[in-house]
Amino acid sequence: MGLSARDAVHLKEALQIAVVKCSERCLYQSAKWAAELLDALPDRADDELDEKPAGGYGNKYVHPAFFPSPDPEEAALEAKELNRYLLAKSFFDCKEFDRCAAVFLPESLLAGVLSKSADSTSPRGKGKASASLSAQSVLPKISQKSLFLALYAKVISGEKRKDEDSEMIMGPHDLGSVTNKQLLVVSRFLERWFSERKSDDGEMPATHGFLEYLYGMVLVKEKNDQTALEYLMQSVHLFPWNWGCWLEITNLISRVEQLNKIAPHMPQNIMSFIFHANTAVNLYQHGQDLAASLHDLLDIFPTSSFLLTCRALLNYHSKDLLAAEQDFSNLLALHPHRLDSLDHYSNILYVLNLRPKLAFLAHLCSSIDKFRPESCVVIGNYYSLLSLHEKAVQYFRRALTLDRSCLSAWTLMGHEYVELKNTHAAIESYRRAVDVNRRDYRAWYGLGQTYEVLEMHAYALWYYKKAAGLRPWDGKMWQAVGSCLQKMGRDRDGIKALKRALLADSYYDSTSSSFGSTGPIDRMAQMDPEVLLQIASMYDRLEEQEEAKAYMELCVAQEDGGAGLGADGAGLGDSVAIHHDSPGGVTSDAETEADKGGEGTGVTVATSRARMWLARYAMRTGDYATALRLATELCQDGVEVEEAKSLVREARSNLEPGGIGGS
Amino acid sequence: MSRNLTPAKIGLLVLIQLYTQGAVPNDGVVPVLDFLSSHVLGRDLTTPTSSPDDCWARVEGTIRLILSVRDFEQVLSPFAVADRLPGRRLWDRFLETLWSIDSLHALQEFIDRLPRLLAKSRDQLRKLAERGEEPPKGVLLSRNSPFGFFVRKCYLEFTRLQFDHAADLWKAFIKYRQPTAGYWRRRNPQHSRLSFDSVLMTGEHEWGDNTDEIAVVTYGNMLLGGDDGDASLVSSDDIESLLEMQVEAITRFGQRVPSQLKEKFDHLLKEGHSVPSLVHYLEFQDAYRAGDYTSTFNELHRYFDYTMQNRERPLSYQHALMNVAVVQSDLGCHKEALAMMLETIQTARENRDTVCLNFALNWLFHFGKSHPGLVRELESNSMLGSGKEMLSYLRVKAREMGLSVLCSSALIAEAKLGMANGESISAALENMVRSSQLIVEHNMTPMIGSQRLVTTSLWDRLGLASMSTMTCEVFLRCHATHSAFEDELKATSRLAGLLAGRGRYEEAFQKMEALGQNPLRSARASQYWHVYRGLLKLRRDLHRDNLEASDHLLLQLLQAGPECQDPDLVLIIDSIHIEALTRRGDFDAAFAKIERLIASLREDDRDINLRIRLLLSKVHLFDRIGRPEKGFTIAIRAASMAWRARLLSPLWQAIGAVAHILNALREFAAASRLLVAVIPRCLEADNSFTVGTLYSVLADAWVGQAGQRQGQQQALKRTEFLTRANEALDFAFQYFSAVEDAGKMGEALAKKATIMRAMGDYGRSEDYAAKYLALRREVVIRNG
Repeated sequence: MGLSARDAVHLKEALQIAVVKCSERCLYQSAKWAAELLDALPDRADDELDEKPAGGYGNKYVHPAFFPSPDPEEAALEAKELNRYLLAKSFFDCKEFDRCAAVFLPESLLAGVLSKSADSTSPRGKGKASASLSAQSVLPKISQKSLFLALYAKVISGEKRKDEDSEMIMGPHDLGSVTNKQLLVVSRFLERWFSERKSDDGEMPATHGFLEYLYGMVLVKEKNDQTALEYLMQSVHLFPWNWGCWLEITNLISRVEQLNKIAPHMPQNIMSFIFHANTAVNLYQHGQDLAASLHDLLDIFPTSSFLLTCRALLNYHSKDLLAAEQDFSNLLALHPHRLDSLDHYSNILYVLNLRPKLAFLAHLCSSIDKFRPESCVVIGNYYSLLSLHEKAVQYFRRALTLDRSCLSAWTLMGHEYVELKNTHAAIESYRRAVDVNRRDYRAWYGLGQTYEVLEMHAYALWYYKKAAGLRPWDGKMWQAVGSCLQKMGRDRDGIKALKRALLADSYYDSTSSSFGSTGPIDRMAQMDPEVLLQIASMYDRLEEQEEAKAYMELCVAQEDGGAGLGADGAGLGDSVAIHHDSPGGVTSDAETEADKGGEGTGVTVATSRARMWLARYAMRTGDYATALRLATELCQDGVEVEEAKSLVREARSNLEPGGIGGS
Repeated sequence: MSRNLTPAKIGLLVLIQLYTQGAVPNDGVVPVLDFLSSHVLGRDLTTPTSSPDDCWARVEGTIRLILSVRDFEQVLSPFAVADRLPGRRLWDRFLETLWSIDSLHALQEFIDRLPRLLAKSRDQLRKLAERGEEPPKGVLLSRNSPFGFFVRKCYLEFTRLQFDHAADLWKAFIKYRQPTAGYWRRRNPQHSRLSFDSVLMTGEHEWGDNTDEIAVVTYGNMLLGGDDGDASLVSSDDIESLLEMQVEAITRFGQRVPSQLKEKFDHLLKEGHSVPSLVHYLEFQDAYRAGDYTSTFNELHRYFDYTMQNRERPLSYQHALMNVAVVQSDLGCHKEALAMMLETIQTARENRDTVCLNFALNWLFHFGKSHPGLVRELESNSMLGSGKEMLSYLRVKAREMGLSVLCSSALIAEAKLGMANGESISAALENMVRSSQLIVEHNMTPMIGSQRLVTTSLWDRLGLASMSTMTCEVFLRCHATHSAFEDELKATSRLAGLLAGRGRYEEAFQKMEALGQNPLRSARASQYWHVYRGLLKLRRDLHRDNLEASDHLLLQLLQAGPECQDPDLVLIIDSIHIEALTRRGDFDAAFAKIERLIASLREDDRDINLRIRLLLSKVHLFDRIGRPEKGFTIAIRAASMAWRARLLSPLWQAIGAVAHILNALREFAAASRLLVAVIPRCLEADNSFTVGTLYSVLADAWVGQAGQRQGQQQALKRTEFLTRANEALDFAFQYFSAVEDAGKMGEALAKKATIMRAMGDYGRSEDYAAKYLALRREVVIRNG
């Protein structure tokens, strides 16, 4: 998607204005995001557009960002209260939030707002507050900018107090029940403000969009999702350059269907495009379209760290770890001081087992700022990789102390507690993670695993299903669901789930290869013999011998790469499936295996058991020659030799008379 | 700053690893092990001495190792490596291992591998056997051996480190290793600029030009050559052990930290960013030795402020008070010191701190001995009674508590007191022997010094100069290295004094000059040294009749005297002052001074030796004004006092004085009998001037007897007496010339000339007269 010169200039100006406006309202993160994007916009030669600026030469060097508000009424108000605004802004910058709010909205006024609405809801409560005059107070007439700043300061002050009141992470009193006490006031205030504005003629006059954003944010915190979404949508229509607002919407969307449903109601501009891509990535979507749209966006903003992160995450979610690693590595080179989303990078390095690099990354993060949640997560991951789980927990905890909404830290801490066999704490951490973000499949999966360890299969199944719902194309999820079902004795459902797992694996293969990545990647290139064995044994239990035999044979066939066997995964033997559970015979050294190329899994426990079953089956059905062959193979493989030998003897003894009789 | 681990320790670990791998060749084993153990244990195995110089050298070695990798090079480069191709040095092998730690993770792995160096415990062996694995082979360190302990400790400390501290350690390690990069590059051509971190090196392919930026972000200023605070090479443990070593050396040997070392250590402290409270103690000690009053108290109080509530070294109030009191008295604030010490005693009693109480009482006793004026009003109403009772109380207490140091020092003090009071010599000897036994039993090397010194003074009193010389020599040769410098200084001064008494001034000065320069940086020691050296010079100048120079010196000494810690020195200065006054002929002033001193001594009940000396100088004064008979009773009293106290050397002087008076009373025969009996004993005392005087008095007695033999018939007898007198004068001249006493030499010559004339040998008389004149001229020329 190319961009004409004029468009580029407009985009640039719009972003510049966005940065100024967001910083005026102390929306630091949004301002940072916009500025980053602005920086990623490549410079063009200015000669292309030598049209005169609108305001004549006198204004040539005055940037539009500094032009007064187009709304004359607002502009007059802003001019009038400039002094007070500057005062409030500096208070905010000094983190004196209550003082900042009090510049425009004295406490008495807010109390009035609160008590009045309290009266309206409960007419019996005739307190002192209702007797006072302030109950009838009107909202102060101040500009929207100042109002936003004051209310926003109020919210932030409430957040700060909430953090201060919270107990130690996962301490005995840390129930996650501390709330932001300022939310009520702010939401009452905004409710009234909007209703007063609307009551004039039912039609709302245009606003800047920031108050809607604030109201939406407050509503989200009050868990009033539907209304929140409405206000947030209004806000992005009015002012699309506020990234914080888009993020709030992203957090509200938990399903792809939902995203597709609201997509038509979005404003059609580049921000919406970016939003769409980002949300899709966050929902673990992947596919050609998404990759293409990210590619287009990167054409416009070639060095945007945000978009590069999105692309890396996309690769990560589609299990193309090497490409993801490459992306993050480039990102690091471009923005060495940027800590955001390096925790995802550390996850990738963890999975790839690149220890020195992970150590280096941890060192880098800790050098930049050791008190950022991201740094702590990276360090925690490093320690987790070294199997120093206590230390890892310590660092995840630190991350959470710094930012309680740090999702990955909660999940990873859960993993660590599982390693430490502290299932109770693990469940609690996972639960917190899920409470923070309902889309985190790893936390759901972890919950399921933990309950499975505790042998509470019904619970485990519930959580596995959740995880599978979030990642329907991830075989691991379905496999978990299947084995859980198997343990609960629901063999039919279990078989279905496991077959789906097989399907999902092959699906990933085909998609990831479309990205053109090569090399040894830990992914399920073939059908997992384990899964096959499970399916077969379930069929066996259901006494469907033929099906069972077919799957057992398929399982054994995986040893030589399954070539020639007509299944979905066949023929894609360019890399090797290595299952972490496989002991001994199969080494975990991916590279040596990969060098052989095109080979199967070799002998694993699963295939041996399948072979044993087949041998026994052959014995039962009287096919002694096959039984003898299989049993001898078993002896050669060196698995369960004793049993195999007795089988061999038995088969021989059966064969001998038959052989004599036959000849 | 990390708590324990430093890059130097990693180096030591690498070396230990090399050793267990068998890379150290046979001839290198001993030096390498010595190097390792001296740093791991903080102790030298091959030369287990503990002289102050060794102490400082050890501190310096530790600092050097902490700061630079070069120390390893010095130890390792002479040896070939045993498990590689010939031609490689052990140093190369060491560097190879050092540079193989090429990332933070590699460091982590290196530490994780450390437990493999250790021998397996029985449990671990059983588990290995269960799993069917072979137990490890090769050199394994036992878990509780010094190296095993060191390895385990390092491992534990590393696992305890927070991540950022581990990263700091890694950075410090890079810094520490960097000086070897040049050498390593020559050996390893593929070594590149970024070799210090393998991640950066491999990342260079994908990061390209941005690699440098990433490196700078990660490693901070360090790469830009700036000073980076985080990556410090020292650990707080290092600093603390260094401090302890220094404090130990200071308190044990009473020396100041050599300035060069102090500079280095300050640098280290600055690098370490943290200041343990012991630093203040060290600075206090230094200021105290330097005699810097204000900073001494400043630092002392600072130290106590920091440690008063410290759990590691609980310091009670009374200890603090005691320290302050000692320091105050040493810096000359005797009154404040006394008040402080009384407070100490009170608090110690309240807190039932017997150790502190005993020390304080002991100190107070010694203090009372040297400053009787201050404690006088205290003693009259104290329950402790006189000094003797206090000492025996202390001794009994100390024995009860098992405080052998205090016990032996009480015994020594008792012996000293007995001698000072002129009591039984055998009792004093008994006490000395008992204390000596205690010292030997408990191997209290720091006590040897004071014990030896008291022994020396005992021999001195008995007039056995050779014995006291020998005692001093023995002490200086055998014990001086591990005792306080003050004792060494005193023993040396004593020796020098004895030499000077025999007139061997040059040798005496040489002895004084031969003392080390660093110990003399301590204010007290250098003051003592200067005063004593001044005294020796003064005595020589007086003998040489160089009154101007002696005046000059005397004025200075009289100034410095009262500040001096040793009251004995003050009295010596005073007596020399009297002598100088007499020599100059200012008899009134001399007499007044003697009277004043005698009065004050009698009041304070001081050492009997000093009183006898004063009495003798009074007698001498009477003699000088030409009325020797007036001094008769005094001389007799002095003689009897000296006899009772077995103070032999003053006794001979007193006898000499009596004989001189007898001469004046024309009792020549009695005088000569006395002298003939005394002179051989006096010769033992090695005091040439006294011997010379005695001989000259003897000559007078002979001449007097010759004068009593009038008439022809006794001419033979007279000639015989005159000859004897001449011989005695010869001896007198010999001894006087030994101490270069010009006046007495001249006197002897003049007397000889007179005797020759009386014998009728005018030629020789003329000779002597000419000699006498030549001598006078010489003196005049020499004195300018």
